[in-house]
Amino acid sequence: MLQFQTTGFNGYAVKYSPYIDSRIAVGAAQNFGLVGNGRVYVLELTSQGILCPKFYDTQDAVYDIAWSEANENQLLAACGDGTVKLFDVNVAHQPIAQWSEHSREVYSVFWNQVTKDNFVTSSWDGTLKLYNPERAQSLLTLPTHSCTYSTEFSPHSPSIISAVTSDSHIRIFDIRIPASAANHLVHLIPIHGPAPTLANINTRANPLGPRPPPSECLTHDWNKYRGTILATAGVDQIIRTFDLRAPRAGAVTLMSGHRYAVRRISWSPHNSDLLLSGSYDMSVKLWSDGNAMSDASMVTPNLGRELGEMGAHTEFVTGVDWCLFGSQGWVASTAWDQRLLVWDARTIIT
Amino acid sequence: MSAAQGRLSSVMGHLSPATSGKSQLLQKSPDDIVITFAARTPLTKAKKGGLKDTRIDELLISLLTEVRERSKIDPNLVEDVCLGNVLAPAQGYVARCSVLAAGFPIGTAASVTNRFCSSGLLAVQNIANQIVAGSIDVGIAIGAESMSTCPDDGAPSWMSEKIIKHPIAGQNTQSMGQTSENVAGDFGVTREMMDKFAARSYQRAEKAQKEGWVADEIIPIKVKVTDPKTGVVEEKIIKGDDGVRAGTTAESLSKIRAAFPQWAPSATTGGNASQLTDGAAALLLMKRSRALELGQPIVGKFCGATVVGLEPRIMGIGPSYAIPKILGKLGLRIEDVDVFEINEAFASMGVYCVDKLGLNPDKVNPRGGAIALGHPLGCTGARQVVTALSELRRTDKRIAITSMCVGTGMGMAGVFVSEH
Repeated sequence: MLQFQTTGFNGYAVKYSPYIDSRIAVGAAQNFGLVGNGRVYVLELTSQGILCPKFYDTQDAVYDIAWSEANENQLLAACGDGTVKLFDVNVAHQPIAQWSEHSREVYSVFWNQVTKDNFVTSSWDGTLKLYNPERAQSLLTLPTHSCTYSTEFSPHSPSIISAVTSDSHIRIFDIRIPASAANHLVHLIPIHGPAPTLANINTRANPLGPRPPPSECLTHDWNKYRGTILATAGVDQIIRTFDLRAPRAGAVTLMSGHRYAVRRISWSPHNSDLLLSGSYDMSVKLWSDGNAMSDASMVTPNLGRELGEMGAHTEFVTGVDWCLFGSQGWVASTAWDQRLLVWDARTIIT
Repeated sequence: MSAAQGRLSSVMGHLSPATSGKSQLLQKSPDDIVITFAARTPLTKAKKGGLKDTRIDELLISLLTEVRERSKIDPNLVEDVCLGNVLAPAQGYVARCSVLAAGFPIGTAASVTNRFCSSGLLAVQNIANQIVAGSIDVGIAIGAESMSTCPDDGAPSWMSEKIIKHPIAGQNTQSMGQTSENVAGDFGVTREMMDKFAARSYQRAEKAQKEGWVADEIIPIKVKVTDPKTGVVEEKIIKGDDGVRAGTTAESLSKIRAAFPQWAPSATTGGNASQLTDGAAALLLMKRSRALELGQPIVGKFCGATVVGLEPRIMGIGPSYAIPKILGKLGLRIEDVDVFEINEAFASMGVYCVDKLGLNPDKVNPRGGAIALGHPLGCTGARQVVTALSELRRTDKRIAITSMCVGTGMGMAGVFVSEH
């Protein structure tokens, strides 16, 4: 296990470069992101360990980062002061572009992996914003009316944007359809409990158990292989997968084992069933959902399997990411313990 | 709110989610069913104690009068009174007539409910359900039993042959004492364990009495008592419980002879079983929104109750099924509960339930139970709620479960939150 100290800064996000196998970025903030500055670290994995050739300081906390899919040297930072900043590794100290449109903390940023020419942000101000890096103003604002912790583009479609919010729903927007009263919203899927369907209305599935109450959803991720599957997780400690072909059928898989809120999840780029999760319980866990898909005959969700746990972090784990290159299984994690850890997920499988 | 405070409260919200069963339970909503008054009469020994000459109607009138006066509720607002009672003849007459005689207006209805030892809790649930359903806004649940004046003759002698020959239903010809021996025999509960359990009940009840904790539960009531020697009838104010034998130890209980030598293992005695007792307890219920409107002080909240069935021959272990069931329904964990009031019908079932559920003995019947205080059948379910709320108040805790085994093979459990 390799490590890098982000001394004075508590980690919030980590991302491997999609271009260069030895490059990792970490987004971090002073004082646990409550007050103070933020910092973006651009790190190099070398035979001498992890080196830090570049870092960028920001006025306010950095809560999320995203590498440009179009330019190997550029990356975005989502900041506490409502700004999104684009940095270029060849330009020292200052961002090469900045957007100041959100009125509250920007909590996630995601670059379109299909067309590679735009990116989306989500904020506590209850909106998503879509930007083209070449343009000074955002292209589109999508309301969620709820503190939005996480947003992504579908890795399979250039026009489908997902978001999860504190109101315990997944929102799916399709920006190809005409803007109407629904503001491109195509699905509003409750996370906490299934809507009644023919499949589950007359069954004895969970006859006594209380329907799970709504709880804030903090993170989600699209499966890289199964285009209709995405996973969510948050305050209720349960990781769920949903199949968008059956948006009203409720969760396909439940993965439960974290003892506090789940802060970040990420599907493997190599295996269609593997999912990594980082939690306030200070652990990173590796799961398999068994490749479960929605099935009309299904009356209860599948239970995913916990494959292993990494317990080296000593504070809340806030960021996890998979390396796209090399031998499959290398991951990075960051936490409030001011450390980036780079390790092989295969070593924790029990 | 500054940005830093906003961010801090956001993180705090992630850590102490309002989604655990406990935090959900402790949230206050206008539609909650709240208790604005809860009290009981003293519990006194049947045939010997201060209430021995008080018939059920007189007991009800005394308590309901006190409830009406002390709660300061406008009696015109009380729409229904549900009486939990097991033994009294002419219950229907007794209930409505006593309500009217206690100073409630002609518009106050009454009903009777009977599920044996859970009747008092069932009365609470019935009134709460009526309020939830919108049938009424304000109601009183009362549990009362005069075991001095109403004999408990057990199962009737005339039951159908189809019942007698039925493998499960037929078990109901067994007496309650026999079911206690069945539990002791089936689950290896020894006489020593039972005496130890019973002694703890006595010692806790004695302590609660000496420290004055129970004064918080009890309303002294004025009744007529006939002196057994002279036959003179006197009016007396009955103030305290009389079942508690001071200085009881497991050692002293071990000397008492078996009550049921005819049924092995004959571990049950007069010292480790509940006493025959007279008493009553009452609770005033309404929605939180109504309580706030009326300025009624909110004492606690009724969160729900449930019932289970099991083999009649081991009916005593009902709480070991009922408690997990209600915990599951409310999404609570056993360690979320601060006080368990489990009716001590017999020490055999008490020992079994505490052990089976893995309860912390310090949380179970902290003021003693029916072994020390007595078990007026219909009263107990309501009495335990009064006791639990008082104990939560004293110790500044929140969540209580009351549970009891029920004759003919059932168990009931209810969850209450103190809002002191």
